[in-house]
Amino acid sequence: MAHNALFLVNSVYQLLTAVHLKRTLLRDREADLLLTDVTPALPRLRGRLEETGLFARVILAKGAELQGRCHLNRPAELDACFQNQEALLRGALSGELGEYGEIYFANFDVLARLLACRYDHLPCRFYWYEDGFSSYVIDYLRPDRAAANRHPLAGKIAHKVEAALLYQPQLALRGDGIPNLALPKLPRGDGALLEVLDFLFDYRPLRDPADVLFLEQSFRAENIPGNDLELMERCRAAVGPGRFLVKPHPRNPQNIALERGLSRPWHGDAPWELYLLHGDLEGKTVVTVCSNGALAGRLALAPPSGERVVLLYRLFTGKVLWKENDVLRRYLDRFCREQEGGGVFAPGTVYQLEHLLRYLGGGYGEKT
Amino acid sequence: MEKRPEVSVIVPVYQVESYLERAVESLLAQTLEELEIILVDDGSTDQSPQICDEYARRFPEKVRVLHQENQGLGLARNAGLDLARGEYVAFVDSDDTVEPDMYRAMAEKARAGDYDMVFCDVRILYVDEGRESISQTYPEESIDLGDYLVRGNNITYSVNKLYRRSLWEGLRYEKMLFEDIALIPALVTRTARVGYVREPFYNYYRRSGTLSTSQVGAMGDVVTAFRLFLTRCGERYREEAVYCAAKQLCWNMTQSRTVFLPDFIGLLRDFRKDFALNPYLAKDPQAGKILDYLDRPVIPRRLVCAHCGRPLPEEWQQAVERDFPQGEVVELTEANLPEDLPPAVARAIKVGRWDFVEEYLALGEVYEKGGIALAPECRTQLGLNRLRLGQVFFGFEDGEALTAGCFGAVAGHYVLEALLDTYREENLYNAALLPLKERLRDFLLLRMGLQANGKKQLLRGEVQVYPPDVLAFDMRNGENCCKYQPCPAPEGFEVVRASLLERWSKERMENWNLYKRERDRKGGGAPPAAAPAEAVTRGQLEEELRRLAETYESSTSWKVTRPLRAVAKLWKR
Repeated sequence: MAHNALFLVNSVYQLLTAVHLKRTLLRDREADLLLTDVTPALPRLRGRLEETGLFARVILAKGAELQGRCHLNRPAELDACFQNQEALLRGALSGELGEYGEIYFANFDVLARLLACRYDHLPCRFYWYEDGFSSYVIDYLRPDRAAANRHPLAGKIAHKVEAALLYQPQLALRGDGIPNLALPKLPRGDGALLEVLDFLFDYRPLRDPADVLFLEQSFRAENIPGNDLELMERCRAAVGPGRFLVKPHPRNPQNIALERGLSRPWHGDAPWELYLLHGDLEGKTVVTVCSNGALAGRLALAPPSGERVVLLYRLFTGKVLWKENDVLRRYLDRFCREQEGGGVFAPGTVYQLEHLLRYLGGGYGEKT
Repeated sequence: MEKRPEVSVIVPVYQVESYLERAVESLLAQTLEELEIILVDDGSTDQSPQICDEYARRFPEKVRVLHQENQGLGLARNAGLDLARGEYVAFVDSDDTVEPDMYRAMAEKARAGDYDMVFCDVRILYVDEGRESISQTYPEESIDLGDYLVRGNNITYSVNKLYRRSLWEGLRYEKMLFEDIALIPALVTRTARVGYVREPFYNYYRRSGTLSTSQVGAMGDVVTAFRLFLTRCGERYREEAVYCAAKQLCWNMTQSRTVFLPDFIGLLRDFRKDFALNPYLAKDPQAGKILDYLDRPVIPRRLVCAHCGRPLPEEWQQAVERDFPQGEVVELTEANLPEDLPPAVARAIKVGRWDFVEEYLALGEVYEKGGIALAPECRTQLGLNRLRLGQVFFGFEDGEALTAGCFGAVAGHYVLEALLDTYREENLYNAALLPLKERLRDFLLLRMGLQANGKKQLLRGEVQVYPPDVLAFDMRNGENCCKYQPCPAPEGFEVVRASLLERWSKERMENWNLYKRERDRKGGGAPPAAAPAEAVTRGQLEEELRRLAETYESSTSWKVTRPLRAVAKLWKR
């Protein structure tokens, strides 16, 4: 069996995890990196990635184009793509794939499914690594979830997945039968790791981080109606001007918080978790509906980072996940219970939220 | 005055200068010669005392006057009874009148039948409405006492009866309102011989704004009066008397004095056996309705006020005395703090947050024994008593916020228990020492399904939440039961929170706009003013003017002279 590994990466968060995995679990092994353009800025990191020497090869992949050609819920497109899988892969990749003993991926997308077909008959294990809370709550392989899961070729990946790698496997609620294994936590204070990541992402400390940061989510990009803007406004009103900042979600088409005058511009391109590793958010309050970034400081970092987290999922009127929304709520409730007294708050009413923010901001005198 | 009069008529007099002469004249016109009139001036400050004295001066052989400090109707009648010398006594209210033959006919009846009491009918004159009716005391010529209690009328009246004076030995009116109810029916049940003159001799003038038609806190005496009625009535006619009381209670509870409904329910419960087993009530679906109230939850008439480090405001006490004269007032102060205080409350004491402590104490007391928590800044209205009907109530302060200034509950209610529990938890409310209204609102939102919209809601069928005009601010719409008054308002002014006023005005405007839209949709417009006889309507007038102008514009002379008028216009410039 081949000793090499391949990482499939679609986002900066996944890249950060891939780098960490390479430096820990796979530190003595050779690994290639398949970098897609699903996050448009990602391919630009190729040069720096190669400079780090962490990966033997960095191959680019036209992930966005593949996703456009082959929708996972359109059987005809699935037939067309998977009948020509090799040609499709050749056209999408900037380099030849090698023989791998393990493939690490974070999303059950077309590219991961094509790879599963490619290595179907080879002794190559597939590991699904964490991509935020969805990895804990969504059963991506359930037949009724997508036509791809019922497709004879696109669905092969179900049999290839060996395990899910999660920072907190005990929180998993997917119920898909895939074993959950623990990912090593991102160590805070690991100078060498920070050096690599700082270089890779061209890290600059957060300029003028406000006391309260709102992590926007991709609801608008995903056409999920909800009251997140109203919640933002309430937060800003409770916190007061000058102390509130919104970090826009990269997939949303416009920085609507900025346009509405709710926030100053956000200057920071590094992955959120990198700021957490540096302790840039120490003593700050991070507010979000349920962004994984807000959870990451406690899920993925060891020891946990010191920011306070306010989760607004109980106040959000939209559905964050269409099908697994209830599971997500259970997951978040469980997370909050486990973190009780540890600086994680989940207000049940907007009034609680307002009082909480005022309290955390010292608006009620000395905090206890 | 040497000869003992046959009948002594006692007239309590209080602030009736307009009506007193009419009443006394009707007594002086009595055809019964042996009659004395006892005017008991009960501390009137108008011209009534002088009028009394004038009659005594003019008719010394008939009229006697007693002046005393104001003590109320019952005690004034008692004073008259002490003076009475007649074989029989009777009462007339000083704003009513009697027919000339009344006491002659009734005394003759009493003598002829050796009756201890004689009744007559009552003519009720509705002054404001300009109509009258006869209240017939009994449908038969002679009275069967048991049947009278079941079918008769005017039972509780003192004034349509002639009494043998000896009946009153050792018996007097109570110092209370509704003293008639407390005494007369019981007296009737204990009287062996009762006669009846089927004539409407007594003229009862019913006006708005009098004691019998208005609602004040002291009128809670009506419940005590019925209690005395039921306690005092004779055993021989008890079932009939209970039924008689039930019929009147039903009217009071559902029609005339609903504000005291919770108190009436307490009374019903105290006499549950009598009402539940009453055979007449079992056959009368109308009066039998009162049995449905037996198991309705009622919040105790306890007013709980925590005031730590500050005195209880005088205005608070005055309002409570006015609206809850029989209520139990529970004051909680820093002097009687419980030992096992939650850490947050102990911390609040340490940092001088007595408002936090007060709310906790009031909540705890209401939970333990039930009642209504009433902050020192709150002022009651009589209507608050009605809210005692239920398990627990709260109120909005505006469109979103709740008030913790006034709330009530039965003892041991789980909502209050849950709220009390939160004082011992680690949570934001305790950490930031947030006011009770915040934890209350969040609790009701999260656990009971409250909508934060300022509207009346019944949560889970038992937690009543009232709009802001009921328990927070008096919008002068007749709905207010308790108002928050953080500072004194000048006479004729109200303190109202700005956000509520804004919401209020908006709602009024919305209603007005809705009305206009509906009116327009129906093709209405303002209703045309009725034209006076032989006059024209405004529409007709405008039409005529328009027609006239058109005629003039089209006239040849007007057209011909147009150039001349244009030149003249230029010339003027």
